[in-house]
Amino acid sequence: MDAALKALAEPRRREILRLVWVRELPATDIADHFGDVTRPAISQHLSVLKAAGLLSERREGTRRLYQANRDEMQNLRKFLDEYWTSGLERLRDAAEAAQRDKEKR
Amino acid sequence: MAELVREIMIDATPETIWPFLTEPDKHILWEGTVADIDPRPGGVYRVLVRGEFQSAGEYVEVVPLQKVAFTFGWEDDGNPVQPGSTMVEITLHPEGNKTRVRLVHRGLPDDAVEPHGDGWAHYLERLATRAVGNDPGPDTGEGGTA
Repeated sequence: MDAALKALAEPRRREILRLVWVRELPATDIADHFGDVTRPAISQHLSVLKAAGLLSERREGTRRLYQANRDEMQNLRKFLDEYWTSGLERLRDAAEAAQRDKEKR
Repeated sequence: MAELVREIMIDATPETIWPFLTEPDKHILWEGTVADIDPRPGGVYRVLVRGEFQSAGEYVEVVPLQKVAFTFGWEDDGNPVQPGSTMVEITLHPEGNKTRVRLVHRGLPDDAVEPHGDGWAHYLERLATRAVGNDPGPDTGEGGTA
């Protein structure tokens, strides 16, 4: 989860996921999309996305095809949906424990 | 511009809850692993979330036992919600022996919502919006991942 959020902080990695959101693409097509980025750099971005679970890789003959992993995105959405809600629930638990301690004294 | 409101009823008095909002040692009991906070107007707000994500801002208004308001954003490169660009307001409303805690998050800048057409961009913006506590509204966009 943390790796996924970090992976998303880089604009080019977001652009890569956008490219392969609805279709599989080989690394060469992905690299061609970025005129200003070297292939090793693209390759590095693909590794980061793969390690974060956001990208799946499939081999077909000598080619490697990439596609966004939507299941992992679902997990991320859930985490972020709960950001403030879970924070306030933790605040409630901590404050209520403190209140009980006060009343015991 | 969306506004997010979250409320929770806490079985404790404002006097008990207040230190959790204003003292670093107590703040990390509910949010963050490191809290560098100086709750007075102009004071720093820095909370490291999940040990990795640096939220940052500045206190704007502090009314003891009633209200803290601070600017809020994320320091990660590329995050569309940069520090200072949004505002969080937490207020305490005593009701009998309990307290209603209300959190309002306002002001996601318009340029945080880039006009992308397809699914990933759509959800990414929703993520960014939700990450800072704004409500992106019902998910009716394209992408088909729901």
